[in-house]
Amino acid sequence: SQLLPGRQAADLQSKVVPSKQILHSDNMEMEPETMETKSVTDYFSKLHMGSLVYSCTSKRKNK
Amino acid sequence: RMEASCLELALEGERLCKAGDCRAGVSFFEAAVQVGTEDLKTLSAIYSQLGNAYFYLHEYAKALEYHHHDLTLARTIGDLLGEAKASGNLGNTLKVLGNFEEAIVCCQRHLDISRELNDKVGEARALYNLGNVYHSKGKNVASAGTHDPGELPDDVKNALQKAANYYEENLTIVTELGDRAAQGRAFGNLGNTHYLLGNFRSAVLAHEQRLLIAKEFGDRSAERRAYSNLGNAHIFLGEFETASEYYKRTLQLARQLKDRAVEAQACYSLGNTYTLLQDYEKAIDYHLKHLVIAQELNDKIGEGRACWSLGNAYTALGNHDQAMHFAERHLEISREVGDKSGELTARLNVSDLQMVLGLSYSTNTSMMSESHMVDKTLNGTRPRVGRRHSMENMELMKLTPEKVQNWN
Repeated sequence: SQLLPGRQAADLQSKVVPSKQILHSDNMEMEPETMETKSVTDYFSKLHMGSLVYSCTSKRKNK
Repeated sequence: RMEASCLELALEGERLCKAGDCRAGVSFFEAAVQVGTEDLKTLSAIYSQLGNAYFYLHEYAKALEYHHHDLTLARTIGDLLGEAKASGNLGNTLKVLGNFEEAIVCCQRHLDISRELNDKVGEARALYNLGNVYHSKGKNVASAGTHDPGELPDDVKNALQKAANYYEENLTIVTELGDRAAQGRAFGNLGNTHYLLGNFRSAVLAHEQRLLIAKEFGDRSAERRAYSNLGNAHIFLGEFETASEYYKRTLQLARQLKDRAVEAQACYSLGNTYTLLQDYEKAIDYHLKHLVIAQELNDKIGEGRACWSLGNAYTALGNHDQAMHFAERHLEISREVGDKSGELTARLNVSDLQMVLGLSYSTNTSMMSESHMVDKTLNGTRPRVGRRHSMENMELMKLTPEKVQNWN
């Protein structure tokens, strides 16, 4: 059976450039993950910060 | 004395990780764990950082182990914020490992605690993580089949839609908080989600926002990502000229950033784009650039892909000798890497080209004129035929293999 020339040209077009092949190539570029962070100094800074901040602000208030 | 020494080791580990030397950081953290401490909050921080260091080193099984230790510990000492953080990190790690259902549970826990503590920053970050898990889940299922973006099974569509919703929710909060960097990340991934869903206009809008923010920060890697994603979206909008402009910006930045793999990818995308524009000379130019880098990086799969593309482009130009050269090379590489479908494609291409080359040497074209289409194309001994005609010849022969055999 013979195909219509137009139809055939269209088929060939998609043969030359299968879009799926191109899809395989186009790396989608994702943004980086964000991880939650902890620090061994967190605990200490919280322990000591309170008094430190207090003394600084009270000094400033005294001035 | 022991207490101080564990802390000292951990502090050195922190310093090294912050300086970007995760490998050395890991040894100090592990030494700190060996020494041990009775302060469970310190231990929790060490486990957490070990988990993150292994995550960045792409050793996900180890990352999972330590984030799991951290979670257990945080729960034991009733540290709710610590539990939220450990859950989030565990969720991210499970996502990378492809365990999406457990990842969702963990990220949801991160979200729930953050809301309970009225921690807006934590809430936003949990929403972003959840978006990422659903995006990966959707993409993972989608890649099992070969779908173009936009034509998706329902479960994939559902997952991607959820991802989009989480990114939108995240954007609302980080916009309120005025956190531009977080907005940039959310826009980038939202854009990619719209792209997979086939909402290419929305994808473009999101990536344009991402680009704007990347420029604000002078973040050239993010800028390059945005160009590349904008190129991809414009391809599916059928706006190939625009896509080629974005890919060129990607290529420019890849070269500035001295990232050869990304440079190769940009060349490949440009080769494909010029194929779509039917400018085969330019397509060949870029595919050759891609080929050179793929060989340099010893990327066999990329090399095979380049040969396949070059074979197609040369066929399109009617340069069947060159086409044959690359089709044969593609066949060779497919065998080498054990790519069965590539091998089959290459075999078909080679046999098609053998026929075209065989026929073009022949001066007897009388039987070809029966097909009405090709009589003008094969009238020389080695005609340099136009692309469409040469391809039509090939297709005709494919359609009627038994006839071809009779001719010989």
